[in-house]
Amino acid sequence: MQTGRSDGWLDDRTIQPSNHPTIQLFDEPFLRKLERLAILSRRAMAGQLQGERRSPKRGQSVEFADFRPYAPGDDFRRIDWNAYARLERFFLKLFVEEEDLTVHLLVDTSRSMDWGEPNKLWYAARAAGALGYVALAGLDRVTVTAFGGGNTPGGNPGYFAPRRGKGQATALFAFLQGLAAGGRTSLAPHLAAYAAAATQPGPLLLFSDLLDDGWSEGLRALASRGFEVTVLHILAPEEVDPGRARWLGDAQTGDLKLRDVETGAELEITADYELLQRYRQNLAAWQEELRRFCNARAMHFVSVDTSIPLEELLFAWLRQRGVLK
Amino acid sequence: MTSFLAPTAFALALLIPVIVAMYLLKLRRTEQVVSSVYLWRRMVRDVEANAPWQRLRRNLLLILQILFLAALILALARPFRWVQGVGGRAAILILDTSASMAATDLSPNRLEAAKTWASQVIDSLPDDARVTIITASDSAQVLVSSSQDRRQVHQAINQVRIGTGGSDLTAALELASAIAARQPETDVVVLSDGQVTLAQRLAFKGHLRYLPFGLSGDNQAISTLSLEPSPGESGMTAFVQVTNYGDATAQRRLVLYSDGQLVSVHDLEIAAVAQQAVVAEALPADTHVLEAQLAGQDTLPLDDRAWAVHHDTRPAAVTLVSEENLFLETGLALLPNIDVTTIRPSDFEVNLSQRDPVGPISQPSPLTIFDAYVPITTALPAGNLLFIAPPRSTDYFTVTGTLDLPAPRLVDSEDPLANYLDLSELSILEAVHMPLPPWARLVIAGDTSDDTSPLLFAGEVDGRRIAVLAVDLHRSDLPLQVAFPLLLANLTGWLASGGGADLPDQVPPGAPLSLSLPPEAESVIVTRPDGSITRLTPQAGRAAFTDTAQLGVYRVSWQSPVSPAGNAVETSFAVNLFSPQESNVQPVESLPLLESETAEEGPDAQLARREWWRPLALIALILLMAEWLVYHRAVLFRLWGDTSQVITANMVRNKT
Repeated sequence: MQTGRSDGWLDDRTIQPSNHPTIQLFDEPFLRKLERLAILSRRAMAGQLQGERRSPKRGQSVEFADFRPYAPGDDFRRIDWNAYARLERFFLKLFVEEEDLTVHLLVDTSRSMDWGEPNKLWYAARAAGALGYVALAGLDRVTVTAFGGGNTPGGNPGYFAPRRGKGQATALFAFLQGLAAGGRTSLAPHLAAYAAAATQPGPLLLFSDLLDDGWSEGLRALASRGFEVTVLHILAPEEVDPGRARWLGDAQTGDLKLRDVETGAELEITADYELLQRYRQNLAAWQEELRRFCNARAMHFVSVDTSIPLEELLFAWLRQRGVLK
Repeated sequence: MTSFLAPTAFALALLIPVIVAMYLLKLRRTEQVVSSVYLWRRMVRDVEANAPWQRLRRNLLLILQILFLAALILALARPFRWVQGVGGRAAILILDTSASMAATDLSPNRLEAAKTWASQVIDSLPDDARVTIITASDSAQVLVSSSQDRRQVHQAINQVRIGTGGSDLTAALELASAIAARQPETDVVVLSDGQVTLAQRLAFKGHLRYLPFGLSGDNQAISTLSLEPSPGESGMTAFVQVTNYGDATAQRRLVLYSDGQLVSVHDLEIAAVAQQAVVAEALPADTHVLEAQLAGQDTLPLDDRAWAVHHDTRPAAVTLVSEENLFLETGLALLPNIDVTTIRPSDFEVNLSQRDPVGPISQPSPLTIFDAYVPITTALPAGNLLFIAPPRSTDYFTVTGTLDLPAPRLVDSEDPLANYLDLSELSILEAVHMPLPPWARLVIAGDTSDDTSPLLFAGEVDGRRIAVLAVDLHRSDLPLQVAFPLLLANLTGWLASGGGADLPDQVPPGAPLSLSLPPEAESVIVTRPDGSITRLTPQAGRAAFTDTAQLGVYRVSWQSPVSPAGNAVETSFAVNLFSPQESNVQPVESLPLLESETAEEGPDAQLARREWWRPLALIALILLMAEWLVYHRAVLFRLWGDTSQVITANMVRNKT
């Protein structure tokens, strides 16, 4: 694996989605723009190191938080002497502690993600890279986990351990470029396991097409652990509207045997206007169901069509939805 | 009732399984890899809820195709049903418009009933059927020929009027046969009462049917009416014959009017199919028009009235310029209706040269006969001229010499001047030799050994009639021949006519009439019985009048400067329907028409095949279009959706 230059350019790449032989994740102006963004956190969360995020802990910063009576063992330096002069009692002056956050990026690398025009996995990797960079630039910790097959410990471990600092951006990008698709989507066990194993809940960004019945169970597991979940529901344009798919032709009709790239399951359809119309209605209904599910659990749900430019997603959509600032 | 003209087309039904088979073959699906069938499966789950409908809908194309094929095959089999009326791809309707079709036994009359039937039949014909309408009266007339324009056909039918003539079906059938020969599947229908004249045998091409119109034959008619001066008395005598064409004895009252005044009434009882004659005597002597009427009602009112006219025969004045020609004077004196004044040639010139003529010739006579003489010092008198052996040339002909022993020969025995002439016995010693002038027609030619020269020629020039006889009466045996008085009668008849316009007393309806007028008459006015007026301009003393379809008395008048006091000369003639064929209105149930296909026609004769593949073809076309729409519905819906989006967007933009 080749590391890129420190300015964020990645000369080489290891992500090799089937239909994108050569890519560069980001160019420099784009990264500069990214530095102006920050990942929003609605709640204050405890971190590990000094950072820029408000922590629930009291500590040393310039921002006053509270007073509390002195107890033996407290640091004398934090006693508010002005208060002692007035009240002749010791009070400690408490300040808001600012710590770092751990931003969790979960990328679905099942076979179904390596599909579509533009490719969904590639899109997810780029989005994850961008958001990861935003977090790194904001002195937050970033961890990436790829779930799905294709990423074995031997090759790509599928796990990018929490790291801090902009200097880690190249490593992050390299990791994301090295992601390979494979295996089946099984959201429920993976997400449940991740929720169980996470030590520091924080903002969690899930990049997946959710094409699995286990999505509700998995998302519920994440929510229960206290993550601030943002679901980026990534679909290819052909999935959003099969009428746009090249294989249906202009007439948008045809007798087809659809084969699932993950499971190999086959389904015979006779595509015609009504069927496609119903497909679209069905998809809309499902996404509405997803949105309602997420809203009920204080999750962000962002439906992403891979034909949307990444910049638009980052600078418009996610800011609009309060994921980024 | 439906049968098929081309049932072999049903063999095409074998194509239906072919379509089904092709449909099954077509369902080999193309394989397409998708990211997941997760979404599709979710949808198919709802789809399977209404599976039966879904299956039907999915095969909608197949069903439409099979229906289309079925409709097409059915149309190709050319189904038809038997209908009343006329089938075929073309129809020729022959409408009898003879007088007998005016019979009122059908309401309002037979012809109107036939017209109504014809209109209905035409409306029920296939759209592209060509219709020909022929009326048969005295002659056949094609009103509409092979027309597909129904409006035109209806208009033509509405314009058919009853005539007063006979019905000559032969000509109409010949016309119809000629038209039917060039368009296949033609039905010819004769709408008539069967009182027609028909050739004994008539080769006819086509499908011929006869549709009789008429119920009753009860009719009495005045079949003869004549008016003559009573012999030896001062009054007039009328002879009337009334015929009963009905099957029962009829009682009718015959009323006679003399110039509008009732003069005589006779009650008649006429046995079935018999005649009764009435002689009415002592009618007023000055009767000009006698009208006979049968009072009461019968089937055909047209023949219940008749008219007779009495012509005042005023003798025509003839001037004979001749030196003692006994033959000529005797011959002329014997002719009726002329008044001969004989004058010597010497007196003639003196008379004519004087400004104020006195003596025998007070005014120019209609006919002047020059016998072996041509005036030298004076011009030829006005009026018609007859030269006999002219010694000199005149303005109209040139005398070049004499002709010895010519053999006379009639050029045209149909010539009115050559009527009844027999010249075989005639020998001529010497005649005047004259070349035939350009205005004249040759009546008698004289053949000599080396030449042919005219012996009698006649013609009309400068508004007058001129005849020139080259034979010297004294140098031939013509005056001794039977032909001589006949020739004189013919010549004076032609040259001195015009007093009464040569009118016959009775004219059959529709017959053309040639009015013979004095050369001076510039225009003739004919007043028809209904008061309408026709103005004719005579050409060289003759005028043709053909519009004699109305029954009644026609008045003919002209201004003649020759006539006394310059008054209008008036005469008249009567048109009567004295036609047993038309008066006999008994409908004929079957015509001894032709030995063509009509013989085989049984009671089904009124049935015709009506094909109805047209609506089937239309259904097939609609199905084809529906199939196309269903096949392309995705594109169509998308187009429609795009359009409505654009419209909505425009509306929103307009609002803001």
